[in-house]
Amino acid sequence: MKKNYRKRSFHATLLLVLAFSVVLSACSGSKEGGPGKGGKVEIQLWSSATGDGAKPIEAAIAKFNESQDDIVVKTLSNQDHQKQLTAISGGNAPDIIITQWNNIGPWSEAGAVKSLEEFIKRDGYDTGQIIPAALERMKVDDEIYGLPISMSMANKLFYNKEVFEEAGLTAPPETLEELFEYSKRLTKKDDKGNITQMGFIPDYPWIDNVFWPIIFNGSWVDENGKLTANQEANVKAIDYQMSYYKEFGQESIDKFKSGMGGLQTPQDPILTGKLAMIIGWENWYVDDRGEGKDVGVAPFPYPAANPELKGSGMVSPIAMFIPSKAKHQEEAWKVLQYLLSEDVQIQYSIDFGSIPVLTKALDNPKLTQNEETKVLWEYYESAKSPNLKGFPNSIYINEYLQTLNEETEKALKGQLTAQEAMDNVVNKMQPIADKYKK
Amino acid sequence: MDRLKLHSGIKSRERKRLFIGLMFLSPWIFGFLVFQLYPIIMSLYYSFTEYNMFNPPQWIGLDNYNEMFRDDKMFSSLYNTVFMALFGFFPQLVYALVIALLLNQSVKGLSLYRTVYFLPTLVPAVAGSLLWIWLLNAQYGLVNQMLGAIGLPEPNWLMDENWTKPSLILMGFWGTGTITIMYLAALQEVPKMYYEAASIDGANKWHKFWHITLPAISPMTFFQLIMGLIGSFQYFSQGYVFADSSSQAIGGPGNSILFYAIYLFQNAFMYLKMGYASAMAWILFIIVLLLTLLIFKSSSKWVFYGGEK
Repeated sequence: MKKNYRKRSFHATLLLVLAFSVVLSACSGSKEGGPGKGGKVEIQLWSSATGDGAKPIEAAIAKFNESQDDIVVKTLSNQDHQKQLTAISGGNAPDIIITQWNNIGPWSEAGAVKSLEEFIKRDGYDTGQIIPAALERMKVDDEIYGLPISMSMANKLFYNKEVFEEAGLTAPPETLEELFEYSKRLTKKDDKGNITQMGFIPDYPWIDNVFWPIIFNGSWVDENGKLTANQEANVKAIDYQMSYYKEFGQESIDKFKSGMGGLQTPQDPILTGKLAMIIGWENWYVDDRGEGKDVGVAPFPYPAANPELKGSGMVSPIAMFIPSKAKHQEEAWKVLQYLLSEDVQIQYSIDFGSIPVLTKALDNPKLTQNEETKVLWEYYESAKSPNLKGFPNSIYINEYLQTLNEETEKALKGQLTAQEAMDNVVNKMQPIADKYKK
Repeated sequence: MDRLKLHSGIKSRERKRLFIGLMFLSPWIFGFLVFQLYPIIMSLYYSFTEYNMFNPPQWIGLDNYNEMFRDDKMFSSLYNTVFMALFGFFPQLVYALVIALLLNQSVKGLSLYRTVYFLPTLVPAVAGSLLWIWLLNAQYGLVNQMLGAIGLPEPNWLMDENWTKPSLILMGFWGTGTITIMYLAALQEVPKMYYEAASIDGANKWHKFWHITLPAISPMTFFQLIMGLIGSFQYFSQGYVFADSSSQAIGGPGNSILFYAIYLFQNAFMYLKMGYASAMAWILFIIVLLLTLLIFKSSSKWVFYGGEK
């Protein structure tokens, strides 16, 4: 009897173990959402922001939750691209996702992103109030799949004032030709011929295949779906960058680059003066630039032959979208609109240190006369420029960018001419682009 | 008929025992079926489809496999991977054996040496890579300072595409402690009497090494070869971290450290080409399988167990 009992409890234990492992594997399927306390609808918002970077969105959502009685938004930060991908492909999607704009292309084509066209038409939502270059990034085949919540911009030149003074330079360069001349004057070598200081490195901190073609008025695809990366303007953009390598030498620049400290570290090359000038994003050197500070700010130079390209720059927004499998799409749409209202946009860009995506907010005295945001004033103003652009969104965007990168690298190293490199890109990517053409 | 026979063949007590045994195994069986066998079978299926994780997979037959043969990047990633196996793993294996032979001598402070050579393997791959990125820095790195001090050229290890793979290989030597320790264990298993007998016959050190030591530790070499080759074809973390450091794209300068596993990852999670990535995984599996079979086949010629082939 006793023996029997022991045996049975033994079997029971084994069964428990088995059951446990089944439960473990099944629990990822649990769902949240649905009506919460007091008849409110609870919806989920995921953002990829981490740490302090997540506070602005959490603050904005807290205000939204207070402002009305129908919807409660729960925010979950630190949900990176990989986690977002897993959730929406696994059918466990939240109701709103905040992510890098270039995810919209691949994910929308894959049917994971809800098109906003029907909401926009039904409610007569005015998308004209959004900065065009930011809204454009949300479109795939002319259809709007998301809305920008904030944007970053590269359209300035930052320079180390002290290095300029030493070299007797009183004003920043205005044209690209001047930028090149300045670079020659600001580059120093030691007696062994090693570069010890450089004026400007066009592909530092990274090879930028979006910024440079924009400066030369280039593009990547035309309205017929033909890829245009090998047109004259794009090729010129690479030729211009190559001229630095020809002037100062591939090996010398590479060696110098490897010894420069990391960007935005205490050894930052702009702050130490090892590098005199750099492309200026609005969120770089925030504490070190402007009047009375070490880093000077100027509009990024334009090609002397094309003065109409003054004020060109690259826009990179953060996107919000509704996954097509989200359960509370109507509520999510309301939240998106709330986040794009003027007051929310202003507070958000103050908190986040970014640029609002509403054109009218750019002139709001809460921003333009706010001492707290003084470092961004020039950016607010230049965000109105019609010469702001970005890379077209598509399902093959990441592959296109990667291919551009690889071929540009070959050109900068002198293995190919700029034209050959860009022809390679188009030859490789055109069949892929055609495949997805509708 | 057969089934009946089988049934009656096992007595009820044995059946009970079998059942208990299987119950003990069940967590593993369950885990294997759900987390290993199922994904393996699915990846075979996906390799014949176009699949982006969102939409249902579309059957496209052998297209993924055909495309692989036209994909220059796939071939260059395969080249980089084979390069690492040939010029990385094999020299490292020889190096580990040499160190093990040295550590097998009776000198003072031996346990200290053994610890020192083993210690680096305890550093995680990513942390070790980050450390080496500093050591290999072209301008300030210790490696170049040492080379410069003796008048040798100072390569730009991480940014010159001709030097990126040698950088990773150099770092690999640092992490051979595990192989060394296992070789050391094998060396200590070699019976002393063989050496004594050889000494009497007038064999010199080289003869002893070539005719006694090497055959005696051949099972260990066999094991290391198989594990090492599989590891070489899965080479990922170090390359990924190195590429990231030079702030270039995922394959490093000129795609010189785009390894097979990294390119597979890129296709799967950056381009969402799950079908293509699955096909790549299966080709990798076949390559590794063939190599392993080749080593197994050849082993009868050079692996000795207890004095017999």
